[in-house]
Amino acid sequence: MTVPGGPKLALNSISMLYAQRGRRFAALRDVSLDIEKGEFISLVGASGCGKTTLLRIVDGLITPTRGEVFVDGTQVTRPGPDRGFVFQQDALFPWRTVLDNITFGLEVQGRAKREALRRADELVRLVGLAGFERHYPHELSGGMRQRANLARALTIDPDILLMDEPFAALDAQTREIMQAELLRVWRSNRKTVMFVTHQIDEAVYLADRVVVMTSRPGQIKAIIDVDMPRPRDLSIKRTPRFVELVDAIWKMIEEEVKAALRITEDGHVDTQAIATY
Amino acid sequence: MANVAIGLDLDLQERESLGARWLRTHASTLRGLASLLVVAGVWEVAGRTGRWPLILAPISDIWTRFLELASSGELLKHVVVSLNEFVVGFAVAAVVGILLGITIASSKAAKDVIDPWVSAVYATPTVALAPLFIFVFGIDAPSKMAVVFLLAVFPIIINTATGITSTDQIFIEAARSFSANKVQIFQKVLIPSALPFIVAGLRLGIGRGLVGVVVGEFIGARAGLGYLIFKSSQGFQIDAMWVGVFLLAGTGVLAVSILQRIERRMAPWRQFELK
Repeated sequence: MTVPGGPKLALNSISMLYAQRGRRFAALRDVSLDIEKGEFISLVGASGCGKTTLLRIVDGLITPTRGEVFVDGTQVTRPGPDRGFVFQQDALFPWRTVLDNITFGLEVQGRAKREALRRADELVRLVGLAGFERHYPHELSGGMRQRANLARALTIDPDILLMDEPFAALDAQTREIMQAELLRVWRSNRKTVMFVTHQIDEAVYLADRVVVMTSRPGQIKAIIDVDMPRPRDLSIKRTPRFVELVDAIWKMIEEEVKAALRITEDGHVDTQAIATY
Repeated sequence: MANVAIGLDLDLQERESLGARWLRTHASTLRGLASLLVVAGVWEVAGRTGRWPLILAPISDIWTRFLELASSGELLKHVVVSLNEFVVGFAVAAVVGILLGITIASSKAAKDVIDPWVSAVYATPTVALAPLFIFVFGIDAPSKMAVVFLLAVFPIIINTATGITSTDQIFIEAARSFSANKVQIFQKVLIPSALPFIVAGLRLGIGRGLVGVVVGEFIGARAGLGYLIFKSSQGFQIDAMWVGVFLLAGTGVLAVSILQRIERRMAPWRQFELK
């Protein structure tokens, strides 16, 4: 069921409660967000603010305590082929070659082997892994593993791409290259993307809108429009507007971290608060 | 020979002398061989002194006895009997062990029912039951097969179950995000992830299974390597006893290397982890 003119992805007051060692705590509180088709959204926030939890809820891997997720007006209850998830490093199956990792999604759907291979071949070239199809993940560098991870999520041709800190484990140069590569791939297929990261410059560089989350329980603190033209070259990271946006977001997150740690005016850290944090 | 040919081929490109290259690529094999030869030499000399006639027969005497036993066909008979007992017992243990391990790992209820038995029986020295098996299954092969099975099956059960339950959650989640169903997750994630554990269990099972053959044959048998060892030591034929011991050691080495070859075929990604 498609609602004409409605958002591609709608999060409707999502809350998530966890029970840990007999104590309940809220990971997410009342998160609502509409994402348009083809939009690139980055999610940032202090660690532990529930951004990954939110992404897993959207994928259908976990069910929120309250609230709903709608894709094209249809409620999400479990993972589906309309959403592809890109995990952090090392979520590739170590016992499968790059090619067999990439075809996994189609294999599980029971598609014909020949079709899967043709599709994988396209993706291998799209993400720049040609010549490495027969390699095992441990034979690849971190950057190449994440290319394979991206290709694996793209094989099922999802409308929505959910990316959970995919470049967090990469060194600074590789990360920048992968950011530019991701934008190149995104330009060619215009998926709707939710991208979780703790790198603020990465969030700004990639996104149409940056969603800033509060500390636990995670709520939406602000949504920043990134009013910078596309296609974006890595050099925009040195423009005043870019720096300004990164600074503004950094201040918001800093406030949250301080609030969570209860850092007092003279810079003294309340250790009691850290322990419970 | 094939290795030398390949070595020569690469040599032309790398301009390293054939001898030096051969030494370098075979260094670890050569060191192992040298170690064996030195011990064999010491053994031979110590045996020749004749000071420990009940323990050490000179290597050359053991070799002579080996040739005698081999040419008379007696040795082949013993080897065939023991091998048959071991292979059948171990094969049944492998199949039952892997299936039970999978059952334990995939059902909480099955785990609750089976686990106490596994823990209790694994912890007790089950070879103690070997005499009982001879009463029940007779003096020939079936009783030894049962002993081999009983000894080998537990490490296989435990390793299979551990391998499956210790699968990294992220792989299961990745499969779920592609809408894989339970059977697919089992086939395509849990089993391949557990494979190295299963192979390790089989390797432990080989060692324990060989112990089972020998102990079973010590207690009551009419043929087999364990029987040969037992009978020879009773008759103070120390050289014949050593022939049996060496053959058993060789069988163990052979079985483990076959398993390694199978593992390399089935789990090629593991080679790199092991390096």
